[in-house]
Amino acid sequence: MQHGQVGAHPRVGVVKFASCDGCQLTILNLEDELLSVVEHFDIIDFPEATSARSAGPYDVLFVEGSVSEPAHLERIVELRKRCRTLVTIGACATAGGIQALRNWGDHDAFRASVYAHPEYIHTLAKSTPIADHVQVDAELRGCPIDPGQLVELLTALVTGRRPQLIDEAVCMECKRRGVVCVMVGKGIPCLGQVTQTGCGAICPRFGRGCYGCFGPREQANAAGLARYFEAVGDRTTEDVGRLFAGFTAYSEPFRSMVSDLGGTRWARGEGAVEAAPAGGGDARN
Amino acid sequence: MVTTAPARSGRPTADGPGFLGRDDLGVLLDLLRDDGRTLIGPTVDDGTIVYDEITSVEDLPHGVTDEQSPGRYRLENRDGERLFGYVVGPTSWKRWTFPPAVELNRGTRDGHRVTFEATTVKPPKLAFLGARACELAALAVQDRVLMGGEFVDPDYILRRANVLVVAVQCMTSASTCFCTSMGTGPEVTGGFDLSLSELDGGFLVTAGSTAGRELLERLPVRAATAAEKYGAAAVVAGVRAQIGDPVTVDGLHDRLMAQLDHPRWAQVAERCITCGNCTLACPTCFCTGITQVTDLTGENAAMERRWDSCFSPGFARVAGGSFRSRPRDRYRQWLTHKFGTWWDQFGTTGCTGCGRCITWCPVGIDVREELNAIAPAISLAPEVVLVEPVAATPNDFVTARVIATKQETPDTVTLTLTGTDPAFARGGTGQFAMVALPGFPPLPISISRFHADGIELTIRGAGPATRAMAALQIDDQVGLRGPLGNNWPLDRAVGRDLVIVTGGIGLAPLRPVIDTIIANRRRYGDVKLFYGARTPADLHYRAELERWGTRDGLDVSLTVDRAGPEWTGPVGVVTQLFDQAVWDASNMIAFVCGPERMMQATASTLAGRGVPASRTYVTLERHMECGIGLCGHCQMGKYFVCRDGPVFSIAQLGEIFGREGI
Amino acid sequence: MHGTEVPKGADERLYEVTELTRVEGEGSLRLRVRDGKVVEASLGIFETPRYFEQIVVGRTPDEVIDIVARICGICPIAYQMSAVHAFEDLFGVAIDPAVRALRRLLYCGEWIESHALHIYLLHAPDFLGYESAIAMAADHRETVEKALRMKKAGNHLIGILGGRSVHPVSVRVGGFSRVPRRRELEAHRPALAESLELAKETVRLTASLPMPAFAREPRVVSLRHPDEYPYNDGRIVSSDGLDLRPSDWGEAFEESHVERSNALHARAKDGKGVYLVGPAARVVLAADQLHPVARELLAETGMAELIRTNIYASIVARAVELVHALAEAIDIIDAYRPPAEPMVAWTSRPGVGAWATEAPRGLLFHRYEVDERGRVAAAQIVPPTSQNQAAIERDLVVAAPNVIDLPQAEATVRLEQMIRSYDPCISCATHFLDLRIEEED
Repeated sequence: MQHGQVGAHPRVGVVKFASCDGCQLTILNLEDELLSVVEHFDIIDFPEATSARSAGPYDVLFVEGSVSEPAHLERIVELRKRCRTLVTIGACATAGGIQALRNWGDHDAFRASVYAHPEYIHTLAKSTPIADHVQVDAELRGCPIDPGQLVELLTALVTGRRPQLIDEAVCMECKRRGVVCVMVGKGIPCLGQVTQTGCGAICPRFGRGCYGCFGPREQANAAGLARYFEAVGDRTTEDVGRLFAGFTAYSEPFRSMVSDLGGTRWARGEGAVEAAPAGGGDARN
Repeated sequence: MVTTAPARSGRPTADGPGFLGRDDLGVLLDLLRDDGRTLIGPTVDDGTIVYDEITSVEDLPHGVTDEQSPGRYRLENRDGERLFGYVVGPTSWKRWTFPPAVELNRGTRDGHRVTFEATTVKPPKLAFLGARACELAALAVQDRVLMGGEFVDPDYILRRANVLVVAVQCMTSASTCFCTSMGTGPEVTGGFDLSLSELDGGFLVTAGSTAGRELLERLPVRAATAAEKYGAAAVVAGVRAQIGDPVTVDGLHDRLMAQLDHPRWAQVAERCITCGNCTLACPTCFCTGITQVTDLTGENAAMERRWDSCFSPGFARVAGGSFRSRPRDRYRQWLTHKFGTWWDQFGTTGCTGCGRCITWCPVGIDVREELNAIAPAISLAPEVVLVEPVAATPNDFVTARVIATKQETPDTVTLTLTGTDPAFARGGTGQFAMVALPGFPPLPISISRFHADGIELTIRGAGPATRAMAALQIDDQVGLRGPLGNNWPLDRAVGRDLVIVTGGIGLAPLRPVIDTIIANRRRYGDVKLFYGARTPADLHYRAELERWGTRDGLDVSLTVDRAGPEWTGPVGVVTQLFDQAVWDASNMIAFVCGPERMMQATASTLAGRGVPASRTYVTLERHMECGIGLCGHCQMGKYFVCRDGPVFSIAQLGEIFGREGI
Repeated sequence: MHGTEVPKGADERLYEVTELTRVEGEGSLRLRVRDGKVVEASLGIFETPRYFEQIVVGRTPDEVIDIVARICGICPIAYQMSAVHAFEDLFGVAIDPAVRALRRLLYCGEWIESHALHIYLLHAPDFLGYESAIAMAADHRETVEKALRMKKAGNHLIGILGGRSVHPVSVRVGGFSRVPRRRELEAHRPALAESLELAKETVRLTASLPMPAFAREPRVVSLRHPDEYPYNDGRIVSSDGLDLRPSDWGEAFEESHVERSNALHARAKDGKGVYLVGPAARVVLAADQLHPVARELLAETGMAELIRTNIYASIVARAVELVHALAEAIDIIDAYRPPAEPMVAWTSRPGVGAWATEAPRGLLFHRYEVDERGRVAAAQIVPPTSQNQAAIERDLVVAAPNVIDLPQAEATVRLEQMIRSYDPCISCATHFLDLRIEEED
């Protein structure tokens, strides 16, 4: 991944598709490194941060957001032609994002539910990750991406080594940090076992279950976990389905879990009527 | 006249047991602190008993007990003032003796110059308060693994030496306990400085070391009464009865190793999430991985060793794939190592029966059930084989300087290095070095030639790290650790005919063999080299190949997969070359190096041509990080490839050679 | 910034600026000028719709808190806060006073990072003539470093309370999934104290910036609380006498969907015209509740009236609020005692829960219908930028006569600067803005 001439800095762009801007913001949130980063990279296009613009070509292009409207289809293909290394950042770009939940539903109904004049709104029926459309060279997972992983990737780009974005379960990070397992210790359902680490096990550290925002890890046994939740955890099929219907729901095997467990039927008010939920202190046990 | 001095009023004998009143436990804590020790002990945190820093008796759990079952842990209040009325929680003491992350060294790169400086810790003086019998056993197991052989972990030695252990007898058991089966508990019998048994009014205190005796001497104790001694013994006997004997350990090693193809492995993989919780909760698991921590410039880098797990997909990965790609392979690896090959490697059990892997498995998989299903009890004595370590190497890098580079093929370079560790001068054929550039992961590279004051490394630029190494120029420096691994058995080749079969860069580790033969040509019989490459341009050491055949009296046969216009030799795979060769296999020994499938094919052809498995040697590739059998990545059955290999005879490997997922 | 002149018809000229930067969202600006007079100004928002109000249907309250945070990467806490209060109001949950203080502290963190980001990285380059803070750093490195230190202090505070600064994880109905220990917060106090000093400098710096001429009588709306500067609590008040419970936004305001925009526009039902929310509105309506340190600095600038009438001066209001958030954060940390339990137990009940809180950019209203199963059946989310949209359009009309005689590039910069004065919310507002000035001679 060495770029350009010797001594020249990689030319970097940051662009967005359908997203909340939180991953781009993470670049600006590298408060300790930002001024050093701009000494090693020429940021030629980053509308959120600078009025200086360029249409490329880019050595490295960071892409945030999912492909979500007709114009996006052409735009991503065009951008791919203009960059050497394409890095997707965040759950929207790598997995379709939370907006991909509409992929299970009726698109017209979605539009009509929010907008009085749905005919003005142009979106694709499905929200999809960038890699469904063009080749992606590297990805930073997470909703949002982790600043440490971002620095690691930038460092790897400068030094020419492979970025160390380790594919292991969130559990590994919990155990290294001495975080007590929330599933075993409190009976809280947690997706950490099937989710790729990188966040530093934030949710278990904060007393709650992982909600999978870094997406499924390689060979994630989501089906095994779902069976356990249903059989031993005493949860309804719908409850288990909703666990997987989060920010990376459209990534396999989470996608199959959502589909196999009834899709997003619950979003249309269908499904078993059960006791209203409760929460807070006592409900954790 | 010598008279026995009467014991001071009410004092116990030197080792005890003495009786320490409940209110005086604080005195023990004060004494330990006065000794400059930080106290680590049980304390309730967010509904769980963890081990953490404690400052007073108040921090200990009061009147609580734990209820544990597969995948479930809860605390319950119970009557009374008991401070130790529970069993082990999620933390194990290895967090302090073998921390989750340890910096190994710092490297810098400044132009040509490369420096590595080993990081040395000044470990804190600690006191472990409340170690149970199974945990003392676990400390002993890690002692055996990490400092019991000739290869040692210097960080562990330092930390371990600074720990004082206060043990506690169990008063209760959890449904997940099976120390009784593993022969590690529940009775505390050794491996402690001081041991406590909690009774209604206080504690029986026994010393187990000089340090413990000195502490006991300073504690406000009286001699324990017979009733107190019997009371304490009765409690722990009750615990033993409560646990029973859930796993029959007699013959377990052999029963388990005979079931490598059991259908249960696939079945358990349906339930196992391969999250790795069991391995990191385990008090004896010692596998680690190395992470590079670099600044943005890459000029300053630290290597950090972190807890790793054989359940993670990257653990056994090498370029081209993982040696244990399926979850079932990983579960089998873990279980057979803990209960089987651990004995072969370390002469001890890998499991102490603490039950953590059962409780802290988020989906409640119970190793006892799996063992009883896969390897049900039959009576057989386990065969204990101790593997002898080969050589000692300090766990840090020395720098060497490039004095010559030679482009072997379009993507492969031979570097000649000087200024290497003098140990390399005593290195032998087949050995390798861990090679590192700051910021890049260290990689095992075969030594392709030994010089009086240096070595040669032949490196193919396949990934970023090897590409960076292959791009080194004269006067550039690089970090080396080694030489590591065993040798090609040239002593067994003396007076025999030798056949060498290899392809591509596989010739590199065999080049020192050829050098040795040429230097002592008359000691060996007929030597045949069969060497293949993808194209003529991919043949390594072209000039030497020519010389070996013409001047040095070796029988060199070359083949390529795809010939060019200038190629007049044979085309095809290398086994075809010697299929037709005329030889007398009765006195022949074979050295083979190449991809594992190629070596399998070659070994079977050789067997067909009469070369016995005991005289057919191969050199294996595995994921390696430490190179000395301490990080766990390259385990293959009862071997660590780095430490026990990389050269093995086919006979030695037996049925594990070429088996998927070992 | 890249203006092109496109002839359009015989007596029309169209100035097109394709992309506006250092604001967030995707939109367009259309300015029609006849006889030197602006006859139409409209702001269209083309941010791709993500249908959040539908995505939350069928979800439990705690799931909704996680989901709505993703509307905006720069102010996720605001979304979590409006949602959690809406549910707690419906369910009748009484939170621990220490939890209430922690929520204010969390909001302080978001105000600090958001205001520091906007003042220095997005807005100040306009006043000083740079394309970005990165370019600005070449000449004013120390200033940018100070800005980054303040931003970091805010982000770190959010990290202590919620695990990470973007989309923190700890806010739950009934409290927090985990509350910090005293020592965790105390360890961060020195950084906040240092940032408070830097923020005071910021007020003086922003007050010294050249303010383009601009004057209008705004109608401003914000929360107001009798005892504190408004974050999570208070009543919705306006400069002309509105006074509502924070759940009752819908009694005075409504949303409509117009063709040119992917966002819904909010407007007052009383027909009294457009209204403004945000820092300037809060400073106008609640200056007396500012932390004394901030209040004194505001007085020192003498710009309270300018903040009310000149939108460009909102950068000063933002700086005053930056001081307030830092000073209040320090006070909260000094007084902090962890609650007995991080969360109180609650039980769902069907009905409508609604609440408004003060996002860094202004009033943020959420309304949820909860069904018998404790799931959301319908949702309405009104971000500050939707409410400001009509005001932005009105102000463009006000501003345009002052700038259309300027050279194209300069006019563009001035109008962009005005748009940035509203700090349009990253994902609900205007990025890649198309500015078209059509002139009818």
